[in-house]
Amino acid sequence: MTKVLLSNIDRPEQVKLETYRASGGYRGLEKALKLDQAAVIEEVKASGLRGRGGAGFPTGMKWGFVPRNSPKPTYLLCNADESEPGTFKDRLLMERDPHLLIEGMAIACYALNCHLSYIYLRGEYEFIAHILQKALDEAYEAKILGPSLMGRDFALDIFLHLGEGAYICGEETALIESLEGYRGYPRLKPPFPAVSGFLASPTVVNNVETLCAVPWIIQNGAAAYASMGTEKSKGTKLFSVSGHVNKPGVYEVEMGYPLLDFIKNESGGIPNGRKLKAVIPGGSSVPVLTAQECESVVLDYESLAKAGSMLGSGGVIVFDETTKMPEVLSVIADFYAHESCGQCTPCREGTGWAAKILRNIVAGKGKRSDLELLLKIANMMEGKTICPLADADVMPIRSFVNKFRNEFEDFCNGH
Amino acid sequence: MPKLTINDREIEARDGAMIIQAAAEAGIEIPHYCYHQDLPVDGNCRMCLVEVEKMPKLTPACATSVSEGMVVNTHNERVKEAVRGVLEFLLVNHPVDCPVCDQAGECRLQDYYMVYGLHTSEIPLEMKVRKRKVIDLGPMVVLDTERCVLCSRCIRFCDHVTGTGELQFFGRGDHVEIGTFEDRPILNPYSGNVVDICPVGALTSRDFRFKCRVWFLHSTDSVCAGCSTGCNARIDHRDGAIFRMIPRRNPDVNKSWLCDEGRLSIHEIGRGERVRRALIKGRDGMQAPASLGEALDAANTGLREAARKYGGAAILGVGSASATNEALFLLARYVKGQLGGDQLEFRLDSEDRKALEPEDKILRRFDKHPNSMGALALGFAGDEIGGIEGAISKAREGKIKAAVILYYKPLVTRETDALAEARIAELVSLLEFSVLFAAHKADWQTDAGVLLPVAAWTEEEGTYTNYQSRVQAALQAINPPGDAQPAWSLLAALLEASGDTSVWSSSTDVLSDMKQAVSAFAGIDLDSVYSQGALISTNGAL
Repeated sequence: MTKVLLSNIDRPEQVKLETYRASGGYRGLEKALKLDQAAVIEEVKASGLRGRGGAGFPTGMKWGFVPRNSPKPTYLLCNADESEPGTFKDRLLMERDPHLLIEGMAIACYALNCHLSYIYLRGEYEFIAHILQKALDEAYEAKILGPSLMGRDFALDIFLHLGEGAYICGEETALIESLEGYRGYPRLKPPFPAVSGFLASPTVVNNVETLCAVPWIIQNGAAAYASMGTEKSKGTKLFSVSGHVNKPGVYEVEMGYPLLDFIKNESGGIPNGRKLKAVIPGGSSVPVLTAQECESVVLDYESLAKAGSMLGSGGVIVFDETTKMPEVLSVIADFYAHESCGQCTPCREGTGWAAKILRNIVAGKGKRSDLELLLKIANMMEGKTICPLADADVMPIRSFVNKFRNEFEDFCNGH
Repeated sequence: MPKLTINDREIEARDGAMIIQAAAEAGIEIPHYCYHQDLPVDGNCRMCLVEVEKMPKLTPACATSVSEGMVVNTHNERVKEAVRGVLEFLLVNHPVDCPVCDQAGECRLQDYYMVYGLHTSEIPLEMKVRKRKVIDLGPMVVLDTERCVLCSRCIRFCDHVTGTGELQFFGRGDHVEIGTFEDRPILNPYSGNVVDICPVGALTSRDFRFKCRVWFLHSTDSVCAGCSTGCNARIDHRDGAIFRMIPRRNPDVNKSWLCDEGRLSIHEIGRGERVRRALIKGRDGMQAPASLGEALDAANTGLREAARKYGGAAILGVGSASATNEALFLLARYVKGQLGGDQLEFRLDSEDRKALEPEDKILRRFDKHPNSMGALALGFAGDEIGGIEGAISKAREGKIKAAVILYYKPLVTRETDALAEARIAELVSLLEFSVLFAAHKADWQTDAGVLLPVAAWTEEEGTYTNYQSRVQAALQAINPPGDAQPAWSLLAALLEASGDTSVWSSSTDVLSDMKQAVSAFAGIDLDSVYSQGALISTNGAL
């Protein structure tokens, strides 16, 4: 299978510029710089690349929204605030192949006519900050970045910004607020960042994995990328697998790969011959799928949507038959209660309330009526807030309670 | 001017208006906590969610601008359900301590609960998040974070109106609290406003809390008399006692704000002894109490005698920048019309110059009087006199022998007040005969021939002309003490006793006459005076 993102991930010393270049690095950028800026955007559009942070918005289209000839500068912000539970793919890319990200960003900046760009790195990834900064320093030293991008008449600075460890700062407008030095509160939209984002200027926020796919697309052509995957979900995608599997880790597969085959073949199946109970396919904020529901599912945006879940960030969490689902949901609910920024009433109060009810249930102190209350709280939160964090809590609550109701009732009956 | 439909009613809205504003202007109220018309939009409370056709989700009315052909529903079941939900969330961790909360009776949580909620709480007490209570935030504000709905109005006020940024959010999720860094006091001169804009009992007034339940209070529209800005205000009172003054919105003057000094100026009226009865100086040089009628007679007789003896040029009318337009108008009429005097003055401390000078970029002005511009418009800045100093030297030279004087203690005090008062005292001491209108007692008043007790601000109805030359009405909230009466009313009695045939039964009557008689006031609309204020023409007078 063709690897777009992980082809060099196991190469020794790949973090070094020298090694990166020896494996064909920065040739995508060289090629891009020979093209028109608009042509680069067209190429990314044609590739069908979609945002890998979770929302799956077409990347080329996002770039196309940025107004041309704006009197204000355009900014590219790389969203490296990877914090969705079950997701650890960006970490691998930045840890092992940091120049791939820098090259992807440089191409994007050229296409967007952006001269100042930031990497917003998750606070807990401080160890990666050292790796990234070293790579950036190398790129400056080699005159790839700086006043003239690879010798061209195009200045580009990329700065690394370490967050303070808030999940919400992965939401693009909260990321912008945080980068501006404010509390990480998502902004009201409109205006959208493409029009007024960082420092009230046109801004594109792209996920690490998205940007890392760009050099390959430019070098090998949009058609080569689009030939992989399915009709609407093109190319390859990284999946972070955790939970009850023999080989947890990050895997790159073509879109459209059957979920159960993926678990069996790529991640080595479920240990000790146990049976599959459920899978969260796209990070903790997407609806859980029962083993039965997993049977017909392939890993792409459409198939997972059809099954009532989402591809999300590609964080696949596998649960075997021994798992107590109320306990899982309680952990998830605690996470969202802890990470709610507290700005909107429904999310601030709802996530905390739901988490407390679930803790009660897990402690054997729940009532059957609590399940109705949980679903009511989910309804009261859904779609009522500035950002999707409340919805990210609603989806697991609703799917867990509805799909594993018996288990919850057993807990409410004192196990 | 886009046309849109709200609840099946077609309305026209201003370009760029948000749904919540367009609705309010059409008389449709959309419930809200965080939205405030004089603060930037934040959209956090989610109470104003409405349904807009073609929008899949409910949308906040405070942050969605109107557009042509938009169809909005603010009260269907889907919207009500959402509002109920938000309200229930707000009460999840709220202590529901209304019986001991000072906001009770004017609390948006209570009000909306009665309209939308009426549910029983599904969260047991031990599950509630406990937060900090009774935090001292300086001279004006006490904070209870448990009652806070985190609407951020107070934060936005300190960020965008005063620019001082004292308040901020701390913590995350349902543990978020508002507060100041290390609980430092809020010391900006407008801090009291955060109490007014707090929709719940989180920020309460240090000055007013626990003094009176708000439903026992009566409210009277007034204008702050603390400086020449003339902020529109509301006086809350009960049984003749004033409990608080809060701002009344006037977008052209003070928006929704009051300064702290102005807010606290209500206490200045009760400070010191009041003049409750008239006093007449007898042949022995001692003042003795008299009825108002006797005192007015004595005043008239004494002044007329002085005018006869020394001529009208020896009679001075001393107005006050704290007197109403009505009192000043009748004083001028009396001095000029009945005593043949032609000298008027009011400046004790360069009020005419300070009136226009801003003390900061928000509301306050250096002139701590409400009506300097009125006194100027009514001709009280006599070129010949040149302020109180001029009057004193003229009295020393024997050119001025008698005077009618209005004197009010300033409600917002400054160090220079004592000097201004000393000048008035000196003038009185130099005169052969003086009629002094005063609300508060002072030692030097024993020099006055006749001392008349007058109503102070809030005790009378009248108009003031602010720095913009805007005439605004302050209504009577409480009764004056003892025999005291509004100055205009005493002057009207003097005029009547001297043969003036006009009859004025209210301050509005006087204002109507003023409109006829004084060209600067000719164009004012009386209804506007009692609502947003009316601008007088300033040509010539200034």
